[in-house]
Amino acid sequence: MPAAIVGQTPSLSTFLKSLKTNDVETSTELLISLLKRRQIRNSRPCAIATSQLLLRVVAGERHRDAQKLIERIRNVGCRLVAAQPREMAVGNIVRRILGVVREVAEEDQNPADMSDTSPTKSEPSKLQSALLPTLHAPTACSTPGDVTPSTDFGLDGSQSRPSLHSVNSHAPGMTSLFNILQTPQGRSPIGTPPGGAQTPNTGKKGRDGFEAKEKLDVKAEVIDGIKELIDELEIVDSQIAESALDHIHSNETILTHTSSQTVQRFLMTAARKRKFTVIHAEAYPNDHEATHATIVNGGKKGSGDNEDVDERWRPLTAMGITVILIPDSAVFALMSRINKVILAPHTVMANGSLLAAAGASTIAQTAKVHHVPVVVLSGVYKLCPVYPFDTDGLIEYGDPSKVVPFQDGEFMDKVDVVNPIYDFVDSELVDLYITNLGGHAPSFLYRIVADHYRPEDIDLRAKSDQ
Amino acid sequence: MVTTAADSHGATFDVVAAYHHLLQSDSDITMPVAAIEALILALQNNNSTTVSETLDLVSRETVKLKASIPNPISLSAGTDLFQQYLISSLTRPAATQAGILDFDQIRQHLVQNGRLFVDRAKAARTTISGLGRHFIRDGDTVLTNGGSRVVGALLKSAAESSSTSSGRGSLRFRVIYVVSPSSSNIEGRTAESESAAIIAALRERDIPVATIPPTAIAYCMDTVTQCFVGAEGVVENGGVVNRLGTYQMGLLAKAAGKPFYVVSESHKFVRLYPLGQRDLGIEQKIVDFRTADGAVDAINDEGVADLEEGAKKSTAPEDAVDYTPPHLISGIITESGVLLPSAVSEELIKIWF
Amino acid sequence: MSAPAPPSTEPAKPDEAKLSPAELKKRAKAEKQARRAAIKGDQPGGESSTSGGNGESGAQAANAIGGPPQKKPQQQKAGQQKQGRQGNQDARGAQGDRGASQQQALPLRRRGSQSGLATADSKKDNKQVELFSHLYTQPRRHTVEGTSKDVHPAVLALGFQFSSYEICGSSARCVAMLLAFKEAIQSYTTPTGTSLPRHLTSHFLSPQIEFLKSCRSISESMGNAIRYLKKIIVEIDPNMPEQEAKAYLCEEMDRFIRERITITDQAIAASACLQIKNGSTVLTYAKSSIVEKTILQAHANGTKFRVIIVDSRPLFEGKHLASSLMSAGLQVEYLPYSGIPHAIKSASLVLLGAHSMLSNGRLQSRVGTASLAMQAQKADIPVIVCCESVKFSGKVALDNIVLNEVAPPEELIPLAPATGPMTADDKAGEDDEERSKVKTLSEWRDIPNLQILNLMYDITPAEYIRMVICEYGSVPPSSVPVVHRLANEGM
Repeated sequence: MPAAIVGQTPSLSTFLKSLKTNDVETSTELLISLLKRRQIRNSRPCAIATSQLLLRVVAGERHRDAQKLIERIRNVGCRLVAAQPREMAVGNIVRRILGVVREVAEEDQNPADMSDTSPTKSEPSKLQSALLPTLHAPTACSTPGDVTPSTDFGLDGSQSRPSLHSVNSHAPGMTSLFNILQTPQGRSPIGTPPGGAQTPNTGKKGRDGFEAKEKLDVKAEVIDGIKELIDELEIVDSQIAESALDHIHSNETILTHTSSQTVQRFLMTAARKRKFTVIHAEAYPNDHEATHATIVNGGKKGSGDNEDVDERWRPLTAMGITVILIPDSAVFALMSRINKVILAPHTVMANGSLLAAAGASTIAQTAKVHHVPVVVLSGVYKLCPVYPFDTDGLIEYGDPSKVVPFQDGEFMDKVDVVNPIYDFVDSELVDLYITNLGGHAPSFLYRIVADHYRPEDIDLRAKSDQ
Repeated sequence: MVTTAADSHGATFDVVAAYHHLLQSDSDITMPVAAIEALILALQNNNSTTVSETLDLVSRETVKLKASIPNPISLSAGTDLFQQYLISSLTRPAATQAGILDFDQIRQHLVQNGRLFVDRAKAARTTISGLGRHFIRDGDTVLTNGGSRVVGALLKSAAESSSTSSGRGSLRFRVIYVVSPSSSNIEGRTAESESAAIIAALRERDIPVATIPPTAIAYCMDTVTQCFVGAEGVVENGGVVNRLGTYQMGLLAKAAGKPFYVVSESHKFVRLYPLGQRDLGIEQKIVDFRTADGAVDAINDEGVADLEEGAKKSTAPEDAVDYTPPHLISGIITESGVLLPSAVSEELIKIWF
Repeated sequence: MSAPAPPSTEPAKPDEAKLSPAELKKRAKAEKQARRAAIKGDQPGGESSTSGGNGESGAQAANAIGGPPQKKPQQQKAGQQKQGRQGNQDARGAQGDRGASQQQALPLRRRGSQSGLATADSKKDNKQVELFSHLYTQPRRHTVEGTSKDVHPAVLALGFQFSSYEICGSSARCVAMLLAFKEAIQSYTTPTGTSLPRHLTSHFLSPQIEFLKSCRSISESMGNAIRYLKKIIVEIDPNMPEQEAKAYLCEEMDRFIRERITITDQAIAASACLQIKNGSTVLTYAKSSIVEKTILQAHANGTKFRVIIVDSRPLFEGKHLASSLMSAGLQVEYLPYSGIPHAIKSASLVLLGAHSMLSNGRLQSRVGTASLAMQAQKADIPVIVCCESVKFSGKVALDNIVLNEVAPPEELIPLAPATGPMTADDKAGEDDEERSKVKTLSEWRDIPNLQILNLMYDITPAEYIRMVICEYGSVPPSSVPVVHRLANEGM
């Protein structure tokens, strides 16, 4: 777990430290205020903080009943999301954890039904098994006019749950075309295999033995699931970096932008075997200092693993890689000599588009006109099931004093100084996504997203409104 | 209503007549759903007792239906879906897992709930319009064409959300409607009268609507913020088959960098993979070479073509369709969410395998 | 060889040994230029007697400028160059006391930088981005040390204004150069035995130009102006009295400034401001004087519009433009470079200035322009370039590598290196011990493999440019060579 480091300003590390001593409610409030004040920002810290907090929430919950747990998590999740709606990672983690609970609950419910066929096996069989049981009792549900879809998850209280049909549709469809003909037109979990199974390296398979148990301890199972998620957050960079050598060959010139631990790790993995050149655009005015620090001193200090700190800290230059620092404006001038562009997103949308540090869109478009491939490195936790209806609304505007110092009082007064923090990058500008699950075309990303979130969890607020 | 149609035909059930009757009696019904209904009626009027008998009946009726109309693409989406559903429900041994689920039960289920399916299809449209509303933002200018009922429903829904409480809500948008000038005065053209109805309904709701001829699309593309089109069929690679003119609209939208959305219920997904305009499997007399002596004998692209049958089966000019390839489409708005064109293939694979 | 100052030959040797290949190349180039100049001077008439006199006058001038501290490096220089040019001189059978001015005509390096370079060479080599190695010539001159004594004080002052970006922008530099040359020419006296048209260009103007080049590479407009100046000098009747000839030259230079720049600017602004419609939003990048004029003109005409200025590191020229427009009462939005997509969303017109318009229709302008034009083009926003024909060039370029200028990388290093925790979230916890190890970018020269590239220009492809407004009217980029031939070669 992250080392507790003494810091003056509140940050992720102070939050994690306080988590050990404070009670759940205080911690929740603290995280909300940290998110609001942007003292915890960026996807990874937000994801870590959220998962750690929810771990505490679940651990502190007296109820062992899945439905209660779901409500509780949803409640906390909604508050966190509301505190900082633009940090999508928070919502993503909440949804992932809800998925874990549901999975556990389903295993708990149907051990008899499913005991012979493992539900986690494969999608096609999942499809069939999801489809056919729904025909059980045609007479029971087939009252004409019953067009409101009812849920059939075998969870207690599922009937009382409101229809989420109109909201789950923010995500790519996961329902079968047979919907129209099936009797209980539920949002069957087709193509949504249980939460932990799709991140292969988290050791979930080993625990599958539990499902044979007649009655599972829901809470313990969920805690295990959350811990796996936390593990996933920690190893995500190294998993992504595993494919570095497949994508970077000798004597290439790689362009990257802003400072990202994931990208740094990726490049370092390649640098161990190969010699190439890195051109680093500095992402002025929001991230240039971090970028400079990364170039000069190596990967920024992460929140975890002290053991390989030395390695993480090594700057690429110390590994014999030529690093050329350029301002963002020089990207076009150099693009014709660049072989690949590697970007790190802030959030990835279900349709393959992404949000990244301001300047990324310019770089991606420049790469497109020069026919240079754009590779995006993203942990699965950055994949967001929300369809980007309103791309403008997703973009956050930062402190204008980073562009023009406040000392220029008159200038600040009379000139409208705008400092966008994020850029929206359309999916057609991206050639490849590399996640901890491997490489994907942007057009396939909808499926990765669908695999990780339950349709009923996509809109967190719809639930809490009721 | 459904039952009367069925009763009147009695033992000598005419699936084609039933299909047309369904389409006429309910203006809201779509072709694939009408086809499914017609097949269910056929099932109802037949006393098939075995699985293979039933499947055989359904496929025979399907062939009859397809043969009866010049452009069976949309219809085949419904028939294929129904056939595939029957096959998977009747023949997969997994069915037993769910308990005693025999042929009769399924047959019963289908026959009894014919009307329910229609309602669901309509509910899907409501869902889509509720969802698609999110795509329309304040100050947008929406470009659309043709009498797609689902696009109409979507726009109406957006218009209504604009005038919720205080007469006019916050959502203010404009619509540019592409209307073919040739057919605007012809009486019975359903698509055009449909357009006219939608336009009237939108104007009623205080939404400014401009009508332009298809020749003006490129001219006004710079003022457009997004395009919505309906679909007769969504094909396997994520492309769509829709009224003639959709393809050019897609091309123009792509060239101008405007999002181009297809609005379609997922039951319109059809197992067809056209490689181009000439590969839709239907005969369309759109390009008609003539000299002073009259029509030049069709030098057919396919080489051999039964001219007589072709002439009989070719679609009326106003019913002509074209194929819009998936790279022009930003997203397909269905009742189960916004799909990327790449997701269509997966959905279709899922029902087939 | 009979060098006049024996001590000067000695320090030259170690210097010679330390020269890097690039410097040798530079020197060879300089020699070639000198040779060419010498041949010109050789042509008709005796030169041997005049050169001595010229040398004296040059030396006097230098003394007047630099004073005593300059002397030593000069001598050293002289010796060094003499060595290099030995063969040349022998061939021509020149006397030992050859015109010092000719030697001084070479681009001279100040001593301090020379020795500094020699020691820094091994380290410096990998500080230059290989792709742009042709652009790293010598460090920009920032001090008066080591300059030729022939350089006129006005030119000298101008050079430093160039190198410090105090005078920045192609047209401004061109005008300033011509004004400085006017002043310099006033102080020029033709040495006896030669005539002004023969002597002025090679012996007097060249050192000035070379000096300016050593401060910052000259722009296309300056090149065009110099070409024009040389042309009219050559065309002067050798029998014309000197005073008259000088007056004529000054008049011509004034006319050039007036006709090719001042009036032209007004004409372009008047024409371009018609493109700004009521209610439109004008997007511009960095700062161009002509764009500024256009916007102010449109504002003065009563057009209601908004201006978005996108700026970039390290020059922040756009901030000056924003201040100027703000004072004029315009509604201005100011964005960093990363804000281009935001700016594109609301813009309805992009106005750009030019460093140069190349003959294949491409625009050479401040680095970053190309990306902006690309995104505007993609969003179907018209991109208009305002450019005087004096900036049109006969050169062509496909990429941004060959024609460019590399500015000192130090400009990109933030002034106050962040001492505390970085902007990022979880940096706060760095302990002091850790921080002491942390290097900052200002030490980049000591970090192996780290390079910083500070380009000045980029080339915008012609297809991103909808219109070029010059004094010949509005033309498509494809007509740039037509205008160039008409304006710059037809003269």
